[in-house]
Amino acid sequence: MNVVGHLRCFVMVAEELHFGRAAERLGMAQPPLSQRIKRLERELGVRLFDRSSRKVELTAPGRLLLDEARDILTRVDRVYSVAERARLGESRAVRAGVPSDLGGPIVAALIAAFRARRPDLRLDLREAGTAEQVRALAEGALDAAVVRHPCDARDLELGPMLGRPLGVLLPAGSGLAASPEVHLADLAGRDLVLPPRAEAPGAHDELLAACRRHGYAPGAVHEARHPGFALGLVLAGTAVALVPRADDTAGTAWRPLVGEPLAWRTSCAWRRARDPEHARAIADFTAVATAVLRREAGMTPLDAAPARRIVPRPSSGFLA
Amino acid sequence: MSEANRGAWGVVPPQGNGMSDITERIEGEFKAAGVTGWLHAVDVDTGREVSVGADGPVVLASVFKVPLLVAFHRQAASGRLDPSEQVVLRAEDRTAGPTGVSGMLDDVRMSLRDLTFLMITVSDNAAADLVLDRVGRDAVNATSAALDLPNTVVEDSGRELHESLLADAGAATFGEVWARLDEPGVRERLRVLDPLRTSRSTPREMTRLLSLIWRDEAAPAEGCAAMRRLFGLQVWPHRLSSGFPYDDVLVSGKTGTLPTLRNEVGVVEYPDGGRYAVAVFTRSLLPIAVLPQADAVIGTAARLAVETLRVP
Repeated sequence: MNVVGHLRCFVMVAEELHFGRAAERLGMAQPPLSQRIKRLERELGVRLFDRSSRKVELTAPGRLLLDEARDILTRVDRVYSVAERARLGESRAVRAGVPSDLGGPIVAALIAAFRARRPDLRLDLREAGTAEQVRALAEGALDAAVVRHPCDARDLELGPMLGRPLGVLLPAGSGLAASPEVHLADLAGRDLVLPPRAEAPGAHDELLAACRRHGYAPGAVHEARHPGFALGLVLAGTAVALVPRADDTAGTAWRPLVGEPLAWRTSCAWRRARDPEHARAIADFTAVATAVLRREAGMTPLDAAPARRIVPRPSSGFLA
Repeated sequence: MSEANRGAWGVVPPQGNGMSDITERIEGEFKAAGVTGWLHAVDVDTGREVSVGADGPVVLASVFKVPLLVAFHRQAASGRLDPSEQVVLRAEDRTAGPTGVSGMLDDVRMSLRDLTFLMITVSDNAAADLVLDRVGRDAVNATSAALDLPNTVVEDSGRELHESLLADAGAATFGEVWARLDEPGVRERLRVLDPLRTSRSTPREMTRLLSLIWRDEAAPAEGCAAMRRLFGLQVWPHRLSSGFPYDDVLVSGKTGTLPTLRNEVGVVEYPDGGRYAVAVFTRSLLPIAVLPQADAVIGTAARLAVETLRVP
């Protein structure tokens, strides 16, 4: 029997809990779908669904098998995608993602350094937010990524954690630009411009929480997909931006924050590859990327997580 | 479950666009609060439901005290234990926790049923461990099996959870566990956060258990009434309860909390007689202990689900 095909039917019925709708989504008629489910139940020796005239429900064994079936289907899909890549000759490439606001010179240095280390491999680099990269790693659409923390890193391998302190980008004429350092609380009353939350929700939420903790609760948070748009808002005096060290360009001034209360935390992330040749390619990329981020982007290794002071409260205490 | 009620459970309306819409709205709220969430809400009397990953395996954390309380009342009803028996909790070997007897300094003498009062109303771990010891872990799991909750399993006592948490994190205190959650690999190492390796259930099974309690089917009626009273006296205002800021609505529940995990299961009762069992389990991305938006989204998601169920 075609087990994979039958499992696909099983998962679809489990998702819809309705034979008619499941058949429609599978592009088949309902009677053969019912027959397939019956055949699969005979093959496995368990009933997968409780069927009554009013509704369809997963049985306990059905629920157990659902995750397994999904897992198998994901793996089968990957077999096809790996085969396709091999057919197209793409297995000689490393597919990697980087944050879209990394900056042109850093991207160029990354590509150059990888070319120097692995001239035999092609680097297929694309820009994407952390959330999208984590999803692509899970789906096998990316081999390696440069992600911002905190993110959902379950099932991922992580390279060294790198920190990059953030300062504030102000209009050059602003009174605050006159001092060499700015207190975060001094930004009170000004709007803030940040990359879209959807790109890295963990880092975004953490940054805003740290701003509030240090006395800066921005009245409005503008989301800028492109650094150019953020720059425009800063120049117009609409908002300030919190960004890594930047040269003072015409009209803007970058100032560090007193006590370095804010930082991006970045690391490489990847899924362990079974094929040793492929694993070596990924290791070469992550080594190069980590070195370039340190050298060109001013990131420094965080040997341990910064010591955070945590006072548990009863409502968030152990087993509350 | 009586045949009459089995019939009631069968009446599930066809789930059209309205249902996929509510699922999306609830998932949107979870996302905005920075959490992954699993939810099941069901009308206790008609079986109408809202489901967001309702069959996913979830970590119970302190919600394990709910099946424990049910097993306690079944044993009390059958005469296997005397709920008014006085017991002494010695100061020297007390399970850790922020509330109730867990936080007290001296020996405490109290009845078993008053211990269940503390275990539910303030999630007292010392009280819960003594009750668990008396009822027996196997008896709790046998009760869940007998109530048709095959995926509800209590693996650990509070003390065991505490020890495994500190050992896995390589930490000396609970605060230090939180502080180290940021380190790569630490979260993945913590067994207490993995539903396959700790006490677990599904949102659907938790609303089923609550529905049984509210329909006097989990134990004799007297025991079910005693359980409902305790859930109604739970002190926490920040999760399920925060979603229903209405003086004439009763919210009863039991929370569950471990690093990055925030849960609550409960029943919301309206003056028109409508009653809805809700189970919400969340996991936050941020390794931050005080995260009001992650607590509040439990109430928000529950309210969206209950309001959907209240539309005829």
